[in-house]
Amino acid sequence: MQRARIPTAAALRVTATAFILLLSPFVFRLNGHTHADWLQFFGRFHPALLHIPIGFIVLVPILEVAGVRRTALRESAGFVLRLAVAFALPTLALGYMLAYGSGDTGSTVTGHMWGAIVLCISLMICALVRPAWTIGQQPRVYPALLTFSLLALLWTGHQGGSLSHGSDYLTRYMPAGMRHVFSSSPPGIGADPASFYAQRIHPVLDQKCVACHGSSTEKGGLRLDSYPNLMHGGKDGLVVIAGKPEASVLLARVTLPTSDKHFMPAEGRTPLTPDEIKMIRAWITAGASSTATSIPGFAAAAQSGDPPPQPVGDYSALMPEIQRMQQQQGAKLVLVSAKPSDGLILRTVDIASTFNDAQLAQFQKFAPYIVEAELSRTDITDAAFETLRSFTHLRALRLDGTAITGSGLAKLAPLKQLTYLNLSNTHLTMQAAATLKSMPQLRHVYLFNTPAEPDQASAKSKP
Amino acid sequence: MKQHPLCTDCEPELDITSLPIPAGLKRGWSAIETRRRFLGRSGKVLGWAALASLLGESALRSHGADVKNPALATRNNLGLPHFAPKAKRAIYLFMSGGPPQMDLLDYKPGLAAQFNKDIPDSVRGSQQLTGMTAGQSRFPIAPSHWAFKQHGQTGTWVSELLPYTARMIDDLTIVKTVNTDAINHEPAIMLINTGNMNPGKPCLGSWLAYGLGSMNDNLPTFIVLQTKTNPKENNQPVSSRLWSSGFLSSEYAGVGLRSGGDPVLYLADPDGVDRDTRRKMLDAVEQINRQTQSDVGDPETNARIAQYEMAFRMQASVPELTDLSKEPQSTWDLYGPDAKIPGTFTYNCLLARRMAERGVRFTQVYKRGWDVHGDVVGVLPVLCQETDRACYALITDLKRRGLLDDTLVVWAGEFGRTVYSQGGLSADNYGRDHHPRCFTTWMVGGGLRPGITYGETDDYSYNIVKDPVHVRNFNATILACLGIDHNKLTYEFQGLDQRLTGPAPAYVVQGLLA
Repeated sequence: MQRARIPTAAALRVTATAFILLLSPFVFRLNGHTHADWLQFFGRFHPALLHIPIGFIVLVPILEVAGVRRTALRESAGFVLRLAVAFALPTLALGYMLAYGSGDTGSTVTGHMWGAIVLCISLMICALVRPAWTIGQQPRVYPALLTFSLLALLWTGHQGGSLSHGSDYLTRYMPAGMRHVFSSSPPGIGADPASFYAQRIHPVLDQKCVACHGSSTEKGGLRLDSYPNLMHGGKDGLVVIAGKPEASVLLARVTLPTSDKHFMPAEGRTPLTPDEIKMIRAWITAGASSTATSIPGFAAAAQSGDPPPQPVGDYSALMPEIQRMQQQQGAKLVLVSAKPSDGLILRTVDIASTFNDAQLAQFQKFAPYIVEAELSRTDITDAAFETLRSFTHLRALRLDGTAITGSGLAKLAPLKQLTYLNLSNTHLTMQAAATLKSMPQLRHVYLFNTPAEPDQASAKSKP
Repeated sequence: MKQHPLCTDCEPELDITSLPIPAGLKRGWSAIETRRRFLGRSGKVLGWAALASLLGESALRSHGADVKNPALATRNNLGLPHFAPKAKRAIYLFMSGGPPQMDLLDYKPGLAAQFNKDIPDSVRGSQQLTGMTAGQSRFPIAPSHWAFKQHGQTGTWVSELLPYTARMIDDLTIVKTVNTDAINHEPAIMLINTGNMNPGKPCLGSWLAYGLGSMNDNLPTFIVLQTKTNPKENNQPVSSRLWSSGFLSSEYAGVGLRSGGDPVLYLADPDGVDRDTRRKMLDAVEQINRQTQSDVGDPETNARIAQYEMAFRMQASVPELTDLSKEPQSTWDLYGPDAKIPGTFTYNCLLARRMAERGVRFTQVYKRGWDVHGDVVGVLPVLCQETDRACYALITDLKRRGLLDDTLVVWAGEFGRTVYSQGGLSADNYGRDHHPRCFTTWMVGGGLRPGITYGETDDYSYNIVKDPVHVRNFNATILACLGIDHNKLTYEFQGLDQRLTGPAPAYVVQGLLA
C-alpha cells in the first residue's frame, strides 16, 4: 500500500508562514497609533476581498461530502482548498494593514485578528494533510481540522461583522426573549449612577464617541465608555484635565471646524450639539468629578425626565390584522412611528361611545405591543383594569371622560413603563387615588374634575 | 436676508443632496459623481457607471393608490411618522397682521431714553422699507408705552398688556428671533404658512393631513377657525388660500368652520329626509362618481367621494363638537364670558381644545387686526384683551386635562413691527410699520423645552444678534415635534420633490426641543 509522505518543502513553507503570521502581531503591535496612509488604502479592500476565501472555505466540505458519490467533485475539493489558502493569506494581510494603518485596537479587533490567523494556519495544515487523507491514511485529522476551520471562520466572521456593523447588530431586533439570553449587560461606567457624569456626560459620549472609542474599537488607544477610561486618556496622553477645559483635548477635538482633519466625531458621524459641548465644558470646569450631582447652570437629570421607551417585541405576524383594522371604521391599532419597535397605539376615538370592556378584551393578543391606549370617553368600566394589566409595554393610558371609579386601579402597579395616566373627568374616588402612591413609575397623572382632584394643581409631576 | 455682523450663528451652507430635486435626479447626480471619481482614478469603467445610473432610474418608486381609501394607501407608503412623535396634534394661534414684539415680549429697556431720537443708520442699514414709511424723513424711536415686569421662576419680562400670559410664562418656549423674507402681509403670511410667498403650495396643516392622516374619521383632519373681526382694528384679509392644499389632493385642505350661526352650512338634513335616505342618496352619488373616476381618471374625483363621506359623518360629529352645554362651570371660570359668544377668539380657543380632545390633527385659529400702523396705544390693549386670557385659558385647560403632553400650541404672526414710529410720534401715541428681520413667537407643549427664551435681538429689536430662526426652520421644528423629518416629507410636483420648508436648506432648531 502506498504511503503518502508529507513533502518536506511544503511542510517547511507552512511552518514558516505560520511562524510569520504568529509573530507579526508582536512585531507590528496594534498600539493605537495610525501609520502610513497607503496601508489604509490597501487595507480598505479587506472588506471586499474577504468574501472570496469565505466562499471557497465553505465550498470545501460541500465538495468533500458530495464527492462521496461523484469522485470528480472530491478531486476539485483539493483545488478549492488551495484556492482558499491562496486568498485567505492576502485577505489576512490586508486586514492587518487596515487595523495597523488606522490605529484600531480593542478586544473585537484583536479577537478578529487572532481568529483569522488561527483560521489561516488551520487551512494551511488542512491543505498539507489532505493528500494523506484522500488515500485513506489518517482518516480523522483532516475532517477534524476542516471542522475546526469552519468554526474559526464563523467566530472570525462574527467578530468582523461586529466591527463593521456594531456589536448589537444581530441582537437589536431579536425578539425580546431571545435577546435576553444573548446580549450581555452593559459594563459599569465607573461612576456614581446619580452623578452628573452618569446622568448627562456619559450618555453623550456613549451615543457619539463610543462607536470608535469603546471596548470593541479603541482608536488612538482611547476608550470613552467609562469614567476611569475617560480620565486615563489615550496614546497621546490625557484628554480631560479637570478644571481646565481649554487644555482638555476632548473638548478641543469636538470644537474644531468640521473640515479640520482632527475634528471629532470623525468620518461624518453626528457631531456634538452646542448644548452638549457646553455641558461637557461646564463639567470639566467644575472638576470633572465622578460623584458631583450638580453642575452650576445644568440640571442633573435630562430635562425631559421620562425614561427612554423600551422597544416592543416583534409583531409582524399580526400585521395583516392590524392593517385590516386600519381600513375599517372602528377601534384600530396605529404604529407610533415608521419604526415598528416603537410599538402601537390603540385608538378608539371613532367609536368611543360604543367601545366597551368586551371590545377592549379582544385586543389582549396585541397587549405586549401596545404602548399607548387612548380610551378617552369610551364606555369602559373598572373591569377594564383586568385586561389592561396585561399591557406590559404600556406607557400612556388615557381613561379620561369614562365611568371609571378607580376600583382595581392597583392592577396597573406592575406596569413598570407606565408614566402617563389620565383620569380626568372620571368618577375616581379618593380611596382609589391613594393607590396611585404605590406606583412610583407614574410621572404625569391627571385627576382634573374628579372627586379625587387635589385642591391646588390637578397635574402632579413627580421629580 | 443679510445677517447682522454681530450675529455669530450663521445658517448652514447649501448642500446639493438636501435640495428638493427629484430623488431620481439625485441618484443620477450621485451616479455621475461616482463616474467622475472612478474615471479620475482608473479610467476604464464607463460601462459600470452607466449601468449604475440605469439601475437608479428603474428603482424610482411607483405611485400605487388604493382606490377604496386613497389617503390611507398613500400614508402607508410614506412611512410616517419618521420617528416617535412628542406631539400628536397641533393648535396654531395665528395672529394675522404682525404683533409688535417690543410691546409684548421683547423687552427693550434702553429705548425709553431714546424717545424720539432717530434710529441709528448702522442699525437700519440699507433695508428696503414698505411704501408706507419709505417716504418718511425721520425714523423716530418709539419706546413701548407699557411697563414690563419679570414673571415666573424664569424671571421673563412680560408687558403689562399680557397679565394672563405672564401667569403661564414658565411653560412657554419663547422665540425672539424668528425672521422672514417678506415685508408685506400677503407674501409674508403665505411664506410662514406654506413655505413660499406665492400661492399654490400646500400649507402646514395640509402637509400634516397628508403626512400623518386623520386620528378621527368623523371629523376633518385639519380645521380652521376664524375670529370675527373687530372694526376698530386694522384687519388684513384672511382666506382659504392660507389653508389650501395646493398641489396635494383637496381632501387635505383645511375645513373652515363658520364663526357665526351654523358652524357648517346645511349641516342638518332638511325636513322629511332621514339619515337612511341621505345614506342611499350618497351611495348612488358615489357609484356615479366611481364611474366618472374610471372613465376620466381624475384623482380629484376620489377626493370628492371622500368629502361627501366626511360631510355625512360630520352631520353627527359637528353638532356634538360645538355643543358646549355639557362644559363644567370650571371651563367658564377659566375662559371668561367671551367663551359663550360664538366667533370670539376665546370661543374658538375653547373649540380648539374640544377638537384636540376629539382627535383633530391640526386646528388653526386666525385672529386678525394686529396690523397696528397707527394708534398703537388705542388698539393694542383691545387686541390683548381679546386674546391674552383666551391663550392662557387654552393652555391651562389642555394642561389640566392632560392634553398638553402630546399637543403642540404655536402662537405666531407673519412678521414683527418696527421700533421706529410710523407717522407722527407723540408723547402718548405712535404707530409701527412691518418688520421682517425679527419677531417674537411662542410655543408650548409636546416636544418643546419649556421656560426658555430662545435667541436675542439687538437693543432696538431690529436685528438678530444670536440664534436666528428663519420661518422655514421654525416650520421644520414644528414638523419635528410631530415626528416628521422635513427633508423626507416630500411630494413630487412640477419636477421637484416639493416640501414645506421650500428648496433652501432648513434645519430643526434643536435648542427649542426638550
